Amino acid sequence: MASSGNSKDLHLDDFTVDRNAGPVPKYYGAALIELAAERDDIVCLTADLTPGTETDLFRDRFPDRFVLTGIAEANMVGAASGMARMGDTPFVHSFCVFLTRRVYDQVAMQVAYPRTNVKLVGFLPGLATLLGVSHQAIDDIALMRALPNMTVIEPCGPAQMAAAARAAADHEGPVYLRLQRASQALAPGTELLDLDITRAQLFREGSDVVLFASGLMVDKALAAADELAADSIDAAVVNVHTIKPIDADTVCRLARECGAVVTAENHSIIGGLGDAVSHALEEHNVHVAMTRVGVSDTFAEGASTPYLLNKYGLDVEHVVAAAKKAYKLGARTS
Amino acid sequence: MTPEAANPVASLEEQARIIRTHVIRMVARHGQGYVQQGLGAADLFTALYFHEMRLDESDPEWVERDRLIMSTSHNSALFHATLAQRGLIPVDDLATYCVDGSRLEINTSERLGPLVEATCGSLGQGLSVAVGMALSARRRQLPSRFYVVLGDGELQEGQVWEAAFTAAHWGLANLCLIVDDNNMQVEGSSRDVSGMTSPGDQFAAFGWNALDIDGNDMTALLAAFDGAREVKDKPTVINARTLVGKGVDFLEGQLSHNLILPPDAAERALAYLEA
Repeated sequence: MASSGNSKDLHLDDFTVDRNAGPVPKYYGAALIELAAERDDIVCLTADLTPGTETDLFRDRFPDRFVLTGIAEANMVGAASGMARMGDTPFVHSFCVFLTRRVYDQVAMQVAYPRTNVKLVGFLPGLATLLGVSHQAIDDIALMRALPNMTVIEPCGPAQMAAAARAAADHEGPVYLRLQRASQALAPGTELLDLDITRAQLFREGSDVVLFASGLMVDKALAAADELAADSIDAAVVNVHTIKPIDADTVCRLARECGAVVTAENHSIIGGLGDAVSHALEEHNVHVAMTRVGVSDTFAEGASTPYLLNKYGLDVEHVVAAAKKAYKLGARTS
Repeated sequence: MTPEAANPVASLEEQARIIRTHVIRMVARHGQGYVQQGLGAADLFTALYFHEMRLDESDPEWVERDRLIMSTSHNSALFHATLAQRGLIPVDDLATYCVDGSRLEINTSERLGPLVEATCGSLGQGLSVAVGMALSARRRQLPSRFYVVLGDGELQEGQVWEAAFTAAHWGLANLCLIVDDNNMQVEGSSRDVSGMTSPGDQFAAFGWNALDIDGNDMTALLAAFDGAREVKDKPTVINARTLVGKGVDFLEGQLSHNLILPPDAAERALAYLEA
């Protein structure tokens, strides 16, 4: 059969980019090489997913510090811990599922327990991939949260990617960094966000209900807050970019002020942001109405991200509904 | 930094004998434990810690030291006994082995300090850690060598082979794996469980320099380590065939992962070793 074009035209690195979107900056990849230019202890490992994890930039710039481990994640994590024990700061890359669920014991024993200075950098968070259940990390935050010594960071989008990478590098000890590649370039003039792992970020003030969101759900929560305002519900929105350790002060203060809480995460409602917020409230004896938006204890399927977010209850309308419910419950109990 | 003697082999064999008596005493306090593995690999550990590895007793964190990743971390009576006999931990501490609160745990852990280069116990992970260390050391131009002890049963873990292909592919000549090939695992004979008859051949097929020796022959052990150091372009595996229970006549060859060791048996074993 005749080819419809030359082989170069038929080549695409991976499924994680929209081939119709044109060139999109590699915000994480660029941030990592900036860090590596400053620190020669930073090394980069990847398991056959170099383009999909934006580490081709590192490979081309620092080939002597780039390690292609093959499709063998367990060995990659073990090797990274060995490198860390020799003084390196390894950034280890794959998809979220393959750095958590697949290699949990290796992460527990060679990274978390000995507190080796390893940064696990996962892509394809939650339902944000068409690659189906095998690639959808709906339990990765739960797994990583459960490990002692582990810090869990999920920036809210491309504008916070560089700060997230820097925060991971600056933190001495294990970090799980949960990233979603940009689908398009940031608008010109977009201000980049900072990230302090000790402080959640209040993106929108509000007094009736507080929406704690992480990752791609932060934008959904902001859109939901606009809709809620039209119904005279004044919603605060907080970007909880660091899920462990969670900023319990901010969580409890805003929960008390608003009296109603919603958590919104691209993850199972079990073990993730919702549980982290709930635990913080419980520990500090804050009793408020609370609802959760997330994947409701189910596996999903391979399909487009907008379709999946809608089907599994993670769209703006679901955040709005959850906020209204929490607001009503809060009004009844206060 | 290694104790020298006029006749190194005889001196090492004497150290191994003393270490075996420590193993018996340590396990006897609890009535059961990893005796057979300890007696079997005592010559190997003696060769490593008294002859082969470059260590600094005054500075366990010396950056240029050689490192041993003990993937068979349950062989802990032997490991602790060897460290104590070598002067790296107090001999008196051996009495606390497996006592609640002790840092001498039944699976060696980093609570012991920097002498434990990685906490294993979950089998199959040690070689990967050593691969990363060896790779990093090469980039940093450190002269350290990296030794890993895996059990032959442990070779059934898939991660070992992930590490094996990377070590060979990256030409990690500063890496030396020793398979403590005692043909024993919980279920009995490793040969029966896995059908793997010649572990060295498997590694050779992955591109390793493979040696196969009697792991209770001190002369052969020293020669194998010498040979490994001479190879400059690939990692070496030493398949060290060891005899479980070695050195105590009535224990030799008894396949028992967790040996019951009542006081009278311990006394007989000690009498035999000290005769």
